[in-house]
Amino acid sequence: MSRVSVPCHVKGTVALQVGDVRTSQGRPGVLVIDVTFPSVAPFELQEIMFKNYYTAFLTIRVRQHTSTHTPAKWVTCLRDYCLMPDPHSEEGAQEYVSLFKHQSPSMTFPKWLSHPVPCEQPTPLLEGLPDPSRVSSEVQQMWALTEMIRASHTSTRIGRFDVDGCYDLNLLSYT
Amino acid sequence: MLQEESDLSLIIAQIVQKLKGSNLYAQLERQAWASLQRPEIKLESLKEDIKEFFKISGWEKKLQNAVYSELSVFPLPSHPAAPPEHLKEPLVYMRKAQGSWEKRILKSLNSMCTELSIPLARKRPVGEQKELLNKWNEMGTDEPDLSLFRPVYAPKDFLEVLINLRNPNYESGDSLSFRTHLGLIQVPLKVKDIPELKEFFVELGLTTGQLGIDDSTQVPPELFENEHVRIGQKVLTQQDSAAAQQYIRQGSPTALRAELWALILNISSHPEDILYYEQLKTNVIQHDLLVDSLIYKDVKLTASNDDYYFVFEDYLYQVLLCFSRDTSVLSHFAYNSASPPKSYIRGKLGLEEYAVFYPPNGVIPFHGFSMYVAPLCFLYHEPSKLYQIFREMYVRFFFRLHSISSHPSGIVSLCLLFETLLQTYLPQLFYHLREIGAQPLRISFKWMVRAFSGYLATDQLLLLWDRILGYNSLEILAVLAAAVFAFRAVNLMEVTSLAAAEAVLADLSTLKVSPGEGQIQLFAPDSVLVITF
Repeated sequence: MSRVSVPCHVKGTVALQVGDVRTSQGRPGVLVIDVTFPSVAPFELQEIMFKNYYTAFLTIRVRQHTSTHTPAKWVTCLRDYCLMPDPHSEEGAQEYVSLFKHQSPSMTFPKWLSHPVPCEQPTPLLEGLPDPSRVSSEVQQMWALTEMIRASHTSTRIGRFDVDGCYDLNLLSYT
Repeated sequence: MLQEESDLSLIIAQIVQKLKGSNLYAQLERQAWASLQRPEIKLESLKEDIKEFFKISGWEKKLQNAVYSELSVFPLPSHPAAPPEHLKEPLVYMRKAQGSWEKRILKSLNSMCTELSIPLARKRPVGEQKELLNKWNEMGTDEPDLSLFRPVYAPKDFLEVLINLRNPNYESGDSLSFRTHLGLIQVPLKVKDIPELKEFFVELGLTTGQLGIDDSTQVPPELFENEHVRIGQKVLTQQDSAAAQQYIRQGSPTALRAELWALILNISSHPEDILYYEQLKTNVIQHDLLVDSLIYKDVKLTASNDDYYFVFEDYLYQVLLCFSRDTSVLSHFAYNSASPPKSYIRGKLGLEEYAVFYPPNGVIPFHGFSMYVAPLCFLYHEPSKLYQIFREMYVRFFFRLHSISSHPSGIVSLCLLFETLLQTYLPQLFYHLREIGAQPLRISFKWMVRAFSGYLATDQLLLLWDRILGYNSLEILAVLAAAVFAFRAVNLMEVTSLAAAEAVLADLSTLKVSPGEGQIQLFAPDSVLVITF
């Protein structure tokens, strides 16, 4: 099953503030990012991927259209998902994160589905270890990939640090 | 596929990929082929029979040790979208700081090169090669003129860089506020607190026996030491790395230490390894590097002046000069925030096919570097074995002590852990030292950067390094540093200057590094780590 990225428009962050008071000192702890999907056919969202930058908790809300007669409804898919276990320290602050469909229990009829799909049955794990034949096929894929890379690489002699016997150097370079 | 399952598959796939290129793989293949001759191997149950054969003959154990070694050294695969630099160091501002620091080092080395008109590298004339080969075992007798060479940097220069680290997203401001850290390190890294340290170092608890204290006169040796030695011998017979690592958390008997460390680091001396070392030696003979002079100078200034280590001077050259030529060390830069310096063959500036690393192993030694090797000379006398052990210790642990990263065992975290422990449990002492201009980290930094080598007595140092191996972490260095301050707290409260504080802490050679009956309680009454005299 191949996956493609869906074009989306990510708007700038908007700070949530109480009342109309706009001061430069008060710094709200909640920012909202709107993501819209400009005119695409219905699709099944599998994964949301992003790089964190000092966000501690994430909530995702989705606006759903269930039918043409009822107005669109906001549904919370994910609430206060923890990205940084200790927000005052660096843990998780700049990590790459993926959120998968199965992590959101209430994501049953999102806007982008034209018809509901049955939930995927997870394969039973053998004593907590992955299925050997699946692992072995994955390993095969990795080897194939590495062979491709190795083939396209210019060969470097293992263990040698010189170029054709010469190690007569200029100065060190700063890149 | 569930996320956890695919993560595990990815880890397995990566380990298999790594091991595929190793000697062990070739040996296993050969063994599998050879086993076909054996009567118990039947064609209809080939796979199962060979697996059984591997188990009985001990090859499965070797494979387990290799897998365990990979798991200990290489970080877990990160998110597929994460670029390679993220694996080296996830925080952008730390990467930038490391890059700037490296640039300074390169500039310093380049200016030394131009000022002294000495090339970074040159091929030795044949006569000189012969001469060096003849004196290989006594390079210490050489007295080259090293007066013009200066170390590229000293630990205190590095400390200044760490003090100036700032997270651009962290508002601390220049004025003192409740958000400013009281110590020198101002970046908010996560460090373990006492409950977490207690749990992490659970085997160092008072109810568990420890070598170094329980084999002293108070407790009859039969009770602990003999049993401990017996278990150690069993672990060695089993040749199980993971068991050895667990065992050594309580310290190693002197007689078993060399073998245990080799088992934990998964070092075995095959002919290929000895050949590899000989190849490195040939590289040293053929090419002279500027870095060699830095190594000479460092050995002469540090190890040669040390009562414990001066006898090993020749070994140190044999290890460190070869280390500089070892390109296999380059692979550790995948998980080191540092990067190897680059240069071009003379006349080919900018042409990628003439780009090389300098030195070949990418590591520029600093003042005190040779002290990482010196203690190992007590354990290993065969040069290629000594070399392999040092190299593995470097790429697992020591590199973290002189590069800027957010890793829990990185020097920045260790500094912050030290300062936090001291502030939390000895706030009066911390405040006093700060007031008199003697920030504790200024004194303890050099201990941690050298992993206490040259500061503790050797037998105690080796017991400390047992724990580094056992817990696969350098955090014990910060805990010990805090404990040393606690031990001398009474004297330190009376000093009125940084110099006086340094004097109080100048000699650590009488300290015993083993938890035991508390004469000085560092932490809360029910805690576990104390220093005894």
